[in-house]
Parts: sequence; C-alpha cells; structure tokens
Amino acid sequence: MNAIQTAGLTKHYGHRPPPIHPPFGQPTGIVRALDDLTVSVREGEIFGFLGPNGAGKSTMIRLLLGFLHPTSGHATVLGRDIVLDSVEIRRRVGYLPGGVALYDSLTGEAQLDYMADLAGRRPVLRGELLDRLELSTRTLGRLVRDYSRGMRQKIGIVQAIQHDPELAILDEPTEGLDPLMQRAFYDILDERKAAGRTIFFSSHVLSEVERVCDRVAIIRQGRLVALEDVAGLLARRKRNVEMRLSGPAPVLAGVPGVSALALDDGRLTCQLEGDVGPFLRAIAGAPIADLTIEPAHLEEAFLEFYAEDSGAAEAEPTPSREAGSAAVGEAR
Amino acid sequence: MNGPLLRHTWRSQRLRLLAVALALFGWGLVLPIVYAQFGATFRSLLESGIIPPAIANFGGGDIFTLPGSIALGFVHPIALILVCVFAVGFAASAIAGERQRGTLEVLLSRPVSRRTVYATLLASTFGFVAIAISAYLAGMFASATAAGVAGEIDASRLPLVWLNGLLLFGAIGSIALAASVSFDRLAPALGVTLAILLVSYFCEILGTLWPDAAWLQPYSLFHYLETREILTGSPDPFAFGLLSVVAVVAIGYALVVFPRRDLAAPS
Repeated sequence: MNAIQTAGLTKHYGHRPPPIHPPFGQPTGIVRALDDLTVSVREGEIFGFLGPNGAGKSTMIRLLLGFLHPTSGHATVLGRDIVLDSVEIRRRVGYLPGGVALYDSLTGEAQLDYMADLAGRRPVLRGELLDRLELSTRTLGRLVRDYSRGMRQKIGIVQAIQHDPELAILDEPTEGLDPLMQRAFYDILDERKAAGRTIFFSSHVLSEVERVCDRVAIIRQGRLVALEDVAGLLARRKRNVEMRLSGPAPVLAGVPGVSALALDDGRLTCQLEGDVGPFLRAIAGAPIADLTIEPAHLEEAFLEFYAEDSGAAEAEPTPSREAGSAAVGEAR
Repeated sequence: MNGPLLRHTWRSQRLRLLAVALALFGWGLVLPIVYAQFGATFRSLLESGIIPPAIANFGGGDIFTLPGSIALGFVHPIALILVCVFAVGFAASAIAGERQRGTLEVLLSRPVSRRTVYATLLASTFGFVAIAISAYLAGMFASATAAGVAGEIDASRLPLVWLNGLLLFGAIGSIALAASVSFDRLAPALGVTLAILLVSYFCEILGTLWPDAAWLQPYSLFHYLETREILTGSPDPFAFGLLSVVAVVAIGYALVVFPRRDLAAPS
C-alpha cells in the first residue's frame, strides 16, 4: 500500500472572473496553486518534495492534512481519504509546519506534553529525540519565547515525531538548524526509515534531499515536473569532466554519453552522461597528466529539469503537465 | 470537546480569569453600598424633579432601588468591559488569533476536528463568562448583605439573573467566535465584534435616555438583559428566547463555515 496516493489533485484559489468587469474593478483570476498532481509515496521510504518557493509544496501538504479542500482530484493518506477521514489520518501522522509556530507562553516541555496529549499517543521517542537534538532538561524548562529559531525548529521536529507516527510530513525541516544538528536530523530520518516509517518532506535544499531521500518529486508552478529515484536521477545526470593533457588529445567525438567537448591549451573539458565504460575505453592510453570527474549533484539535475521545462513551456501551451505525466508513468 | 485543548485553554487564561473575577466581585460590592448609603437621598432628589426622569432608567437600571442598582451595575461600562475580556477578547482571538500566530495549524495537525476545536472554545467562552457573572452577583449579594439591604430582593431569583446575563454575554461570545472563525487575522474579527457590540449598546442607552429613540431598543441585545424585571418578578420569557436564538444562529454559522474554510499557510 502507498502511504500517500494522489490522483489529479488540484487546488485553485480565488473566484472565476466575472463575465464583465466593473469599470474600475480589478480582474479576479484563479490562482492555480496545484494542478492535476498525481504522485505516490511508498510505505517505508523517504520521499523528497522539491520546488522553489511558491511552487505548491505547502499547498500539497495542507491538502493532505485537511487544511485545504481540493478543487478536484482525489488523494489518500495511509489508505484513508483526505476529505472524509482527515481526523483519522492526523491520528497516524506527525507534522512539522514550515516556520513552525509554538506557544510562546509555554515551556518547551509543556509544549511537547500538550502536543502529545493532543495526539492521544505516548511520546515514546521523545527522550531519544531530545538526546539526538541536544535539548537538555534545562533548555526544556525555559519558555519557548526565549528560544532561538534553531531551538524552536528542534522542538518542532520532536513534537512531529515523538509519538512515532506511521508517516511524518515535514515542511522544510532543517530550516534554522546548524550543520551538526542537520546531520543528527538526517540520522533520525534514517532510523525512522529503518523502523519502517514513511517520511515525506518538502525542501528547497537540494543537498539534503540528495543525502536522505529515496525518491524525489519536483514541482513547478503547481505541476509535477519529475518523479524519480534519487539514484536514477543522479545516474542520468551529466558529469563534468576535465583533463590536463601532456600530449595529443584522445578522440572523444562520437563516444556515447560525451557532449560539450572543448579543448583549450592542453586542457580538455566535456560532459559525460550515463555509462562511463565507452568514455574510459576512449581515453585509455591517452597522455593524461590529471583527470577530474565531478560527481553529479542533484542541484544540476534540478536546474536542468527546470531549464527543460521552461524551454518546453515556450513551445507548448501546457508542457509541464505532459512532462509530469510522463515522469509519473516512468516512475510507475 | 477535546480534553487537552480545554485544559490548555483554562490554564492559559487562569490568571486573567482570576483578575477579572476579582474586579467584578469588587465592582459588585459598590452599587449596593451606594444604594444603601444614598438611595433614599437620590430618590428624594428624583421626586423633587431636579434629576431628569430619563436618568432614572439608564440602561434599564437606577440607583433608587436595589434591583435597579444591580441592573445598573450589570450594564455599566465597567462591568461590560470586564465581562467582554472573555466574551469578546478571548472569543474573537480564540481562532483568528491562533491562526494569525500560526499555532492553529499545529493544533489542527493533531486528530482533532475543527468542530471539536470550536466546541471546546465555545464551552470555554461560556465557562469564563459564567464565572465572571457569578463573581459580580456574588460581590453584589455580599455587599447587599453587609449593608443590610439583601432582604429587598428575592435571592432565589438570582440564578435567573445569572442565566439571563450568561445568555446575553454568551450570545456576544458566540458572535465573537463566529467572527473569529471567519477571518485569518485578529484585527478584523475583533473589529466586527466590537462594532456589533457598540452599536447594540448605543441603541439601548440612547433609547433609555431619549424617548424618541426608544424604537431602537428592541434591536439591541442589551435590551434583553432583564435584571431588574427578574428581581421585581416580571421577566419577559421572550428575552431569554431571543438571546438563545442569537447564540444558536451564531453557533450554527460557525459550525458550518469553520470546517469548510480553506486554511492557507499563514503569511
């Protein structure tokens, strides 16, 4: 069973424009926050939801949790309908909102107790999470209003996971965390995954998605641009190759996967995509003084997706939906 | 209703509730003493024609009788402001305020339906108002007893006075909560509620002071506060019914609107 399954999920804000605008009135259009999104998150995986600000990430999360009502389409979370069974879904889910807001008049401990009481489940993971995130008893005894942004974020993470939910939905979870705490947080995610829990998190920090996610969906302007395994996405990305030569350059033109070939004063650069075998065979025996092959970063993949999507957008009236559908089909 | 939310709400309001209850108890002490000390003098002044007759019925109360003094204390701006700390201040901010601060989504991410959240906050509003009114009536009765004038009222009718006050301020609280579920920010929720409250109060006070404006009074919620009539034995059941209907309509509106609203990300 999929932890999350959406089918044509759509959310539009605003009203239909009137047929005739009043003389001085502003036209009121519809904002397409999410358009025809079909995506599935498997149980037990860490799923990254990527997109720039305003792409529709938070809209998607808010739809899943029942804060928003879909304009059309259908979705289930842990097998339950998001419209009909919202309370039951929230009983089994942990949620960290983006820029989490806490009750300033409570201490950290009282805040966590209150959240656990509301969840109706014992906070079985609290002690372990507090240790990992270095939140001491003394810190928890202070009022939340005195907390730094990072400490608030830690409390937000603990309240979302402390009751060991089957699915954790985390909106930009590492915002405000220092690198050490980010690493501790990634370890927590890995352990939750090992325990069979599902993690769905949105981010625009590509390196963390690359570090922790099994699969990633990329959305743009409310539409799905890609949905793939992170490993597959990286494998398909072009690598940047640079070699310094002490003699004649090897013949790389026509080698499968090689592109953007350039030779300048004994320095050869190119891009390499897919299987590296043909490339290695082509450079075997060449007088290479130094060779660098940069690993593909998700950021480049991400930017490439956006570049492709933007390019297609100029040619086609509704390109991203097609791109999204194709990607979904591929993922399935 | 949701237990943890109810406990959290009462815990967070406990100091405010204590302060308001003490202030209302203190306010309740004042008018019976004033009446006991100066009531006869004021009555003779009224009968001499120096005081305009309209003053004798300010807001449905007066200082020439004990029931009138109690009624006057109830509609006096001091009592009004104190009770409205909860009937308006708490109720208007209960949802719109949490929404503005961003804490509503933390709350609603838990297995609590919006109707349950609303019902819990509504019950809290009525509870706070009930305690505030009780404090006023307790102060009033203690003062009247100490001044030796408690025998001028039928103490068995005080629960009805309490109920009438609860219905009035409960209706105002229900309107405030209805405004609270309708807006994403506290200011418009508070503004709408205060506008309704002030217009309503103005209609009643103007009607009592100026006979030509008496037709405005039935449009005021305060017109249906029947303290003096209850204590003198002639309450109008319609007043109780109307205040109940206003509360029910506001509650019904909120129960329909709140679950259907889209709660976009706080800005």
